[in-house]
Amino acid sequence: MSQSETLKIVIVGHVDHGKSTLIGRLFYDTGSIPEARRQEIAATCKAQGRPFEFAYLMDALEEERVQNITIDTASSFFSTSRRRYVIIDAPGHKQFLKNMITGAASADAAILLVDGTEGVREQTKRHAHVLSLLGIRQVVVAVNKLDMIDYDRQRFQEVENDIRAFLHSLHIVPAHVIPISAREGENMAGRQGHTPWYAGPTILEALDAFGDVRGDATLPLRLPVQDVYTWDGRRIYAGRVETGEIRQGDEVIFQPSGKVTRVKSVEKWREPGLERAGAGECVGITTEDELFVERGEIIARLQQAPIRTREFRASIFWLADTPFRAGATYTIKLATAEVQAVAVDIEERLDSSTLEVIGRHEPELQPTEVGTVLFSLKTPLAVDRYGENVRTGRFVIQDSLQIGGGGTIQTVEGDADRAVRRFSLDDFQVGADGARVVDLSLERNGVELDVTPGFLDHLSAGNRLIVRLRDPVQIEPVALLAYEHNLGFVFSRDRDRVNVVLYRERDGGAEARAAA
Amino acid sequence: MNSHLDELEAQSIYIFREAYRKFENLAMLYSVGKDSTTMIHLARKAFFGRIPFPLVHIDTTYKYPEMIEYRDRMAREWGADLIVGRNESAIAAGTGPEQGRLDCCAKLKTDGLSQTIERHGFNGLFLGIRRDEEGSRAKERVFSPRDKNFEWSYKDQPPELWDQFNTTFAPGTHIRVHPILHWTELDIWLYIQREGIELCPLYFARDGKRFRSLGCMPCTGPIQSNAVTVEEIIEELRAIKTPERAGRAQDQENTYAMQKLRAKGYM
Repeated sequence: MSQSETLKIVIVGHVDHGKSTLIGRLFYDTGSIPEARRQEIAATCKAQGRPFEFAYLMDALEEERVQNITIDTASSFFSTSRRRYVIIDAPGHKQFLKNMITGAASADAAILLVDGTEGVREQTKRHAHVLSLLGIRQVVVAVNKLDMIDYDRQRFQEVENDIRAFLHSLHIVPAHVIPISAREGENMAGRQGHTPWYAGPTILEALDAFGDVRGDATLPLRLPVQDVYTWDGRRIYAGRVETGEIRQGDEVIFQPSGKVTRVKSVEKWREPGLERAGAGECVGITTEDELFVERGEIIARLQQAPIRTREFRASIFWLADTPFRAGATYTIKLATAEVQAVAVDIEERLDSSTLEVIGRHEPELQPTEVGTVLFSLKTPLAVDRYGENVRTGRFVIQDSLQIGGGGTIQTVEGDADRAVRRFSLDDFQVGADGARVVDLSLERNGVELDVTPGFLDHLSAGNRLIVRLRDPVQIEPVALLAYEHNLGFVFSRDRDRVNVVLYRERDGGAEARAAA
Repeated sequence: MNSHLDELEAQSIYIFREAYRKFENLAMLYSVGKDSTTMIHLARKAFFGRIPFPLVHIDTTYKYPEMIEYRDRMAREWGADLIVGRNESAIAAGTGPEQGRLDCCAKLKTDGLSQTIERHGFNGLFLGIRRDEEGSRAKERVFSPRDKNFEWSYKDQPPELWDQFNTTFAPGTHIRVHPILHWTELDIWLYIQREGIELCPLYFARDGKRFRSLGCMPCTGPIQSNAVTVEEIIEELRAIKTPERAGRAQDQENTYAMQKLRAKGYM
């Protein structure tokens, strides 16, 4: 067996277009069905008075077999000489869409199945749309049941044209559109000669040609803090490196708090002296400074930090039994962070099978519908746009007790910037004249200012703080600081720069008012 | 990531840490078999050598003596807090497989487990089940809620995507967490080999027989085998054509036996 990555494949498509049969055939053709399992299925089928059903491999629940439908997703395993596969079966019925999405969300690639006799149907389109929302880009289309229409080439081409046109609108380009019969095994693992007009790969050849897609080490570092363990007198930030790489000695920023420090150690059990960890690895990190950051923060490199935001626009899909409502507050779970968010506006409501916009600024999204929604967050969150980092650009929406839907971040408000950097004012040196100086003139990004009680005492003793600005836009965080801590401020010019001088108003501001 | 074993390991560690953070009063069901022993090894990786929750072994009193000896020795070595749970009243009443295997499983295992959970106030359990073991397990979620009566609503499970698990539940809900759901039997053995995990000696052949799956004496049979090392077992598994649980008599009682047992809280 190859030791390369496992590829997870989801099989999607309209109900009764042959998903379970296709899966059964793949297992059968690759010799992955244990003999006793085959006998058990044969016996069950015989007892029900029907021919051998490959579908029974995955449809294991009694209700599934008796009613001949797939209720819930299941996964199973097979290998080719190229690599290992996990096959995820996804139910086709609309009422089981949440199960379909549960299955599909973890997939690296998909087989979209279309019945050649029936053509593209409602769930074919809805499932294709879900693939696009979930970011699954590697797709093979299988046009099934061609044995029932004598492997008619013209009919195959009509279906191929329909599905290609629809996928085009979703920005999905299928790797191949393959004419098959899952029942007969045509163009599955091998060819039986019924489609001499088809020159492309079989299903197995197409799967083997897919690339490995997980553990992207080429993107910037994203290490969401999953938990903080304070064991053996140390503070360990535990988490999984989602993308990029973390090294001992790296200067890193925690977002959204903006705290900056260096990585003291990268830890794994029984691996002392570990110097680095890459995408996909679960590690612990200790830092040089004692920071008090919590689960939900994302560790990144200072120059490539995620965006700190309180508002974003997302494509969402809704699965819960009750509608998604504009104006309602939901919990958004993104990586390991959880924040309260108000759905400010359902900007677009789409029909999830036709993708037509069926309304703008709507009050609700119904179950299984998709839409574009503007969220306002009650506390800041570190995010990426989905197009730039899939793993930190997607989230789920919790509706009271359950996950009700998911979404991908399209745009972030105040989008021109990158990270907001936070300064703690206690850190700055006292200048010759007794004033402390904070120099923001080199900061290209947004800033936030923090104070400590000790620093406020310093101001109370009559000292001043000089904040050197790059741009008048930076006045806002300074003014906010002054407002929150009851400080006075005046502007001063220093050649081409603007300075703001902060001081503590004595006597609750009476002095300043008298001066005014 | 170097191999698919690294990938499987990382996913399990992620699940452990997520559950440990989200739920209080967790315990791990320890059946003394290869899967739950591997699961303990993964927990120690997740928590830097610790096992920060108790292990629970449900003792039906029909277990092999080698299992009990191994269990107690390993628990000491790991520094684990081991709780042994029994359905004492059913044992006193003489419950055994001769009155029906499924009934025996339900009383000694399922009821024994629910009594133990109740006595210790556990809100959730780690279980070492895998999707490839059997059909109804393949349908499981990683975080699987059970209601007050311990029942699994397999027809209406909550969505679970992108490693975002459902972690808030109505009062009275009991959560089952499955950190190795995504592993196969062969993965487990390859990992045991790589990590040098010590197993119960019953897995290794003696007098031409060994156990592939460990359970109670009356319902678990050995297979013909001369495999005495982990390497030999892996070779044997690669060639084998029978399912893992073929030696488990309770599974063969009727077609949907496992689904029915599991809907009522069986592991």
